[in-house]
Amino acid sequence: MEKNDPRTYGKHIVQYPMDYSLCAGCTTCEIVCTLTHDGLVSPSYNRIFVDRGTRSMVHHILSCQHCSDHPCYNACPKKDKAMCIDENNIVYVNEDECVGCGLCQKACVFEPSRINMVKSADKKQRKAKKCDMCRTRPEGPACVQWCPVRCIGLSTDPLPWEVESK
Amino acid sequence: MSEMRYGYVGKIARINLTTSTVEMISTFDYVPEYIGGRLVCNKIFWDNVKPGTGALDPENMLIYMTGATTATGIPTGGRSVFTGISPNSFPEQYVWSGMGGWLGAELKFAGFDGFIIEGKAEKHTYIYIEDGKVELLPADDLWGLMVHPTQKKLEEKHGKDVKSMVIGPAGENLMRNATVTTSNDSVAAKGGFGAVFGSKNLKAITVRGHGVVRPYDIDKLFELRMKMANPTMRPCPVVREATHGMDGNMIPVEGGWLRGQVACSHGCNQHCNRLMMDMKSAFSDERINQVEKCVGIFAYGYQEDCSWSPIQNFETERNHFLPCKMLSMENPPPDFEDPYAPELFKQVRGDIVNFWKPDFDKGSVMMDMCNQYGIDKWDVIVWFMTWLSMCKQEGLLEDMDFGMEVDVENEEFVKYFLDMITYRKGKYGPIFAEGMARAIRTLGKEKFGDSIYHGRYSQMINKPLDLPVSLETAWGHSFHWQGRGFEGSIYKAGWVAHSLELMTSTRDIMTIAHFHDDYENFLKYRDDPYHSRELVDAVIFNENKAELKDSVTTCEWQSPDIYWPDMEAQMYEAATGIPTTQEDLDFASERSRLIFRAILIRNFGRTREMEVNAVFPALTIPDTFGEVATWEEWNDLVDLYYEVKDWDKETGWPTREVYEKYGLKYIADELEALGKLPQ
Repeated sequence: MEKNDPRTYGKHIVQYPMDYSLCAGCTTCEIVCTLTHDGLVSPSYNRIFVDRGTRSMVHHILSCQHCSDHPCYNACPKKDKAMCIDENNIVYVNEDECVGCGLCQKACVFEPSRINMVKSADKKQRKAKKCDMCRTRPEGPACVQWCPVRCIGLSTDPLPWEVESK
Repeated sequence: MSEMRYGYVGKIARINLTTSTVEMISTFDYVPEYIGGRLVCNKIFWDNVKPGTGALDPENMLIYMTGATTATGIPTGGRSVFTGISPNSFPEQYVWSGMGGWLGAELKFAGFDGFIIEGKAEKHTYIYIEDGKVELLPADDLWGLMVHPTQKKLEEKHGKDVKSMVIGPAGENLMRNATVTTSNDSVAAKGGFGAVFGSKNLKAITVRGHGVVRPYDIDKLFELRMKMANPTMRPCPVVREATHGMDGNMIPVEGGWLRGQVACSHGCNQHCNRLMMDMKSAFSDERINQVEKCVGIFAYGYQEDCSWSPIQNFETERNHFLPCKMLSMENPPPDFEDPYAPELFKQVRGDIVNFWKPDFDKGSVMMDMCNQYGIDKWDVIVWFMTWLSMCKQEGLLEDMDFGMEVDVENEEFVKYFLDMITYRKGKYGPIFAEGMARAIRTLGKEKFGDSIYHGRYSQMINKPLDLPVSLETAWGHSFHWQGRGFEGSIYKAGWVAHSLELMTSTRDIMTIAHFHDDYENFLKYRDDPYHSRELVDAVIFNENKAELKDSVTTCEWQSPDIYWPDMEAQMYEAATGIPTTQEDLDFASERSRLIFRAILIRNFGRTREMEVNAVFPALTIPDTFGEVATWEEWNDLVDLYYEVKDWDKETGWPTREVYEKYGLKYIADELEALGKLPQ
């Protein structure tokens, strides 16, 4: 995908510039994502990712951009059952139907892919995990609510590091 | 207990580098009885390491444990702990060393609550752990690399998402104060365990996990996230600061410098660590970011010691804040309706010491070298450099040829000296690589340890005060909030309490046991702390909390909250689902401290005479108000402490009854067989 790609995005999580707030690297966003959705903590389950600056201590937050043309949805062999679109055009995963094939993950135009896959020896446990904006949660996305430094929020605009070729 | 599924993940890997074998141990052999973290480490060490083992012997065990809260999202649970015999302790003894970063959480995602390292690899080795598997891999292409290049190379080999703990050249060369470093400039420093890694031919441990950690009570977890240390939940921007330093060390910085705030470990709700951005590197023209904590500030300038206010140790319900608010400058405003507020916030100015003038770039270079070589910054800033400065000013170094003129204000000399000791170069490199406590004794303690520096001046009583050229306190460590030396400006009751905590320990206790008490309690022992049951009780409270911080796990900068005494119990219960009271945790920490005590008695010959004599000499140096402890006062306090603990006053050994009260009959039996139970 090129930087002048005409792709448009729905409302999604963005990281603010550091002169507004610096990501503290606490990974609260990853943690509350899985606690809220799955009742556990795991790097295989989170739908938002802290690209950690191990030595620079400057971290980038990555999550689904909710592409208007939703290639992940298009790639799903069980679309409208496993990968679905709700009334607000949010693409979400119905995990009861997801067979863990990974095609949605591969179809994501971002690098790294913004769709996580549960890694498990038990094939039935393998599910796609994708940001659904906490669509059924009255308070909105848990990651935004619980970020201790308010470095993430909602926007339809991509930030420069989010628009990279795959 | 194997059905328990919350908090812990169930396995500890026992890795033998000599035999290249890995044994899987059930965590539930130890928990919940031993809680987790350091409490489990103490039990494992007692069961496995024999007296006579040296720090750099293959038989020394490094035991690394997380806690039940690690990777659960309960704030501060990302902290973890190492224990083992320390090469930096003088004499070598069993110590602990805490660590932040993300590795503890990643280890749990990989299916392990901890690991034990023993033996010695035949060749340079690193350990790779992924999802229940442990591999020993050749480290020939890593050996010799500094800390950051090692971390980077491991990410290139195994993927960017791995988490590593590594040593630099200091550890490889068995420098006794070498660190083990993970991400975010987080280190296990004070034990000198980097040298133990080096002695085992172990360069790094790299971890990747994809598994699951389940906290028991998620609603409670979210409640704790909002309550613990009262997070501000507001933006925290990078700001350009015009000046750097504090008190008499503050200087303008040309063009300013960029300050951010970052968390030290996985899942915390605070951002205590000060991130200094775009700083000068020691090794290239590339600008670097690095973390500054309390001691780092003095790398940049050290003309005046740190000031202090009673609120840092003695609090009221209306005026108290946790240390994590200090470097982020998020302290709540003082409540001046509190009648004690004027006293609580009265500043005690630090002594003028004139060790070195502020130099922003030189300070950054010193910090970068410590980070990259893997050396404990504390020993460099507080001890090596202050010793060089004082000895130079007193004319003690005139017969010593370092190969370059000693000048701690010269950036090139700082680089030269740190390079010399890290790589054990020349005549003096090998001597100082043994750490200051040993170096001073090699050079001659009377001259190079006990000579008086005449540049100390108290701003509280406006007169010069004596200070030895070596800032040694006890156990091979330097002063820390102890009334003299670094961070010396503190009321007598504070330094007496800290000294008592230090006495029963094996290293600087201040990374885990800053003394906290209620101000009204403090008023009871302010004038005579040596005969106060209240002070002894408060010391024991802080000692037990210290044990829990490394075990639940939580953090020195959020615990204890003396007005929320069961915080740790609530954390533990939320993580594990095991009904837990503060009394339960007090019992567990008392038992852990008894095991620690028994280890010191059995393996390292600890007696009253040994520990009283280790600590007392430092207390005869005047504090910033000119006060000292007398032999009688100090021994009266030790008597009282032993009495409260029900330990024998002559030997300092706990009685059989005490061991048995805490379910440790097997320890009493073994000590009795060795003649190390009181008659």
